[in-house]
Formats: sequence, C-alpha cells, structure tokens
Amino acid sequence: MRGRSAGGGAGLTSAAVRRHRLAAPRRARVRADERDGRPLLVDGREVDAVRESWLVEDRWWSERPLRRRYWEVVTTCGRNVVVFHDLREGGWFRQR
Amino acid sequence: MVVCVLIPRFQLTVAVGDREELLGSPAALAPEPGREARIGEVSLAAEAFGVRAGMPLGEALSRCPQLTLVPPDPAGVADAWERLLVRLESIGAAVAPERPGLASFAAQGLVRLHGGTLERVLAAARTALRHPARIGAGPSRFCALAAATRARARRPQIVLGDERAARDYLAPLPVALLRGRDETAALPEALARLGVETLGELAALPRSDVADRFGAPGLLARELAQGRDGSLRPREAPERLEEELELPEALSGAQLDRALGLLVDRLLARHERRGRTLRAVVLAATLVEGGTWREQVPFREALSDPTRMRLALAPRLALLPAPAERLRLAVVRFGPAASDQRSLLDEAAAERRERLREGVRQARAAAGPDAALRVLAVDPDSRVPERRAVLTPFE
Repeated sequence: MRGRSAGGGAGLTSAAVRRHRLAAPRRARVRADERDGRPLLVDGREVDAVRESWLVEDRWWSERPLRRRYWEVVTTCGRNVVVFHDLREGGWFRQR
Repeated sequence: MVVCVLIPRFQLTVAVGDREELLGSPAALAPEPGREARIGEVSLAAEAFGVRAGMPLGEALSRCPQLTLVPPDPAGVADAWERLLVRLESIGAAVAPERPGLASFAAQGLVRLHGGTLERVLAAARTALRHPARIGAGPSRFCALAAATRARARRPQIVLGDERAARDYLAPLPVALLRGRDETAALPEALARLGVETLGELAALPRSDVADRFGAPGLLARELAQGRDGSLRPREAPERLEEELELPEALSGAQLDRALGLLVDRLLARHERRGRTLRAVVLAATLVEGGTWREQVPFREALSDPTRMRLALAPRLALLPAPAERLRLAVVRFGPAASDQRSLLDEAAAERRERLREGVRQARAAAGPDAALRVLAVDPDSRVPERRAVLTPFE
C-alpha cells in the first residue's frame, strides 16, 4: 500500500488487516483555496467543480480522534475524485 | 538391511559418452541451459583442483582454468538410469531411486530368493547391473550409502547389526558424507567451519544446539549420524510409453509446435494407454549442437485432451537452448481413466463452485495465500470509507 494512513482512520490494527484494507487513504497533492479550504488543484489536475463537501468527526471520545473535511470534486479531465483534508494532523488524502 | 548401489559420476560418464579420455582429465558437467550457473558432477582430476559438484561456474574455472565443460545429457542420463533400475528390479528388488547413480533397496525379502545369504543378494545385484558399481549394505539408508562410498568396485562393504552398529560405523567417517543427501548437502562446509569433522562428533552434539544453528536439515543430519533414517520409498513398477520424432531440419516456431502436436496425437493414440489420462510427461530433445535437453511437465490435472496438452507443452519448447534434431514425448505418470460421465442431476452450480475452488487452489499454489481474496463487509454503514470493508481469504 502506498502512502500512509491518515488520522488512524481504520481502527483495525493487525498488519494483515491493514494490508488487506480497502479504500485506504492515499496521500494526494492538493492546492486549496486559503479562504474556504476548497481544493483548486488535485494531483496536478485543475478542479472544475465541487460536487459535495462534508465533515466527518469520529472517535472524539478516544485518544485518536478523527476529523476530516471531505470534498467530492470533478477535475478538468472529467474524473470524479474524493479527497479529504485531515484537520487534526494536516495533509490531504484521496480516497477513491 | 538396506542395500545401496552407488555409481560415482554417473551423469558425467553418460554425458562424456565415447570420449572416455575426458574422465582422466579435469572435466565437469556444464550448467544446464536456463538453470543456475553451477557445474554438475566433476571428474577425479578436477576434484584434485578443489572443484566440487554444485560449485559456481566462475569459481570452478578460477580454481582450474583447464577445466573441460561437458554439455549435460539429461535425456541420455534418464534413459541409462532407467535401464539400470530395470536390471536391478529384475532380481526382485523394490528399488528406491534417490538420484541418477544412487539407488537403494531392502534386502530382507531377497535373501531366500538368492541362496540364503546377503552376499549372494549383492552378487546377484552386481551381475544384473552389468555396470561397475559400489555396493554397500547397512541397517539404515544413510549407513548403506556410507558403506557404498567406502566399498571397492568388486568388494561390497557390509555393516551388520542394528542402529547402534550403524552409529559406531558412521562415527569416524567425515561429515562430507552428508553431501550424499539433498536435504543435508549444504551442511558439511558449515560443520567443518565449526570444527565438527566427523559424524560421531555431530551425533554427540546436543539436539537443541543443532536445531538452533542448522534447523531441520541439522536435525536430520544428526539423526543420520546416529544411525537412524527414514524408510525406503520404492518406486512403482514403471510403464514405458513414449513417442519420438526425428526432425528433418532445425525447426522453430509454428513448425516446432506442429511437430509437438504430432507427438501428442501419436502418444494419445497408443493402445497401451488404455483410455487413461496423463498426469505428467517428459519432453526431451536431442540438440543439433550435441547434448540433450529434458523437461518434466506435470499437468495441473490429469489430461487426455490433445488441445490442452499442447497448450501446456508449447511454452516449454521456448526453453529449448538450441535447435533440436529429435523430439521425444514420454509419459511419466498416468492418471485415472478418462471419463466424461454426465451426472444424473443437473449440478451445474456445484460444478462451477468446484472449478472455482480448483482455480483458487492453483492461484494460491502459484502466487501464495494472498492470490485469491474476497471482500468482507466489516462495517458497511461507516462514515469512514476504509472501515467499511477488508479483503479476506477466499475460503
């Protein structure tokens, strides 16, 4: 698996399970708008439109809380991409 | 009592053929094409230069620059070895071949057949072989092998007694004898570096120490040195079925494929097959440049379908190291009789499942346990995508 997992998202700890996890986050190169955090460029592709955005907050009661701002965007090449910004540890990841 | 028949440098002798003078000079079997660059059996003169079988080619040539490399003849070796095994079996022995040039058999059942003494059994074996061989007998396979290596060409060496006698006999012998077994062939050098020179010293080492340092091969070597060994596994009575085709010119590509197709058709048409499927075959070729090439091909399932056999065999032809002047296809093992019975009930789904299982088994055998996985929904409603599903073994 390339890249590292973000925000301890899976909660599944064994090495074998990590290796076999589906839809694991992969690090992405994203340039975002400084005012509202909207992605402008994802992995070198310009963002044409933002389809949806949502916030995921989970495990806030534990020592490894998870806070992500998800963006579903369409790039200029027509690809539908889901990326998120890890609001705790920073960094952008794609997840589709 | 186990009898061991040892023909030193058997593969080299066969490969040399009529050029027997080569055996008196430094000579070694060249590495087989497409295999690891290690030499095969070596002549006595080459051994004097410190060259040993299994040594990397570069090292062998640097130790003995005048070393003559003899092209290997695997098909010729297999044929010659088969002839000798059949001769041994002709005295009633259930022969367990270890490798070309080394075979063992149990003597118990043969003593009364051949005059009531072990010596007569050994004499019968020697007469049947019609080939110079060293013969040894002992309570275990390894002890018999050790006795054979110390026997003279016309005087067999016999170790009478039980496990203790074997241990006593083996005790002063060098650990280099362990090279005679594939599983322990790599140990003698490491043992010598640690100062363990004889089998007696190895047998006296604590079991746990040997296990720590050498693992399973070490434990086996210690067992052997203590006079214990596994039981013999005699081969089943062989059934020879083969087809050969002389190629008018050096063929390649589609023409060679057609020649293979012809061989397959001929083999399947032989009445000796009696409707049985084939589980493994040997594809062999005599090369234009000299030497032979041989490849054993086990089928994933027993076959009698010429199209599938061609599909399985054709890629092997690409491994031919040089143009061939003769192509041969021989059966190694038969499968059950071919049948295409329809089931009483329509069991298409069960058949599909069984095929899928077989496919999964084959994929795992080829690519490891992770080759076939399925998606398991762990928490399908989770808002965090990576928590929803994992991959898990197919079954």
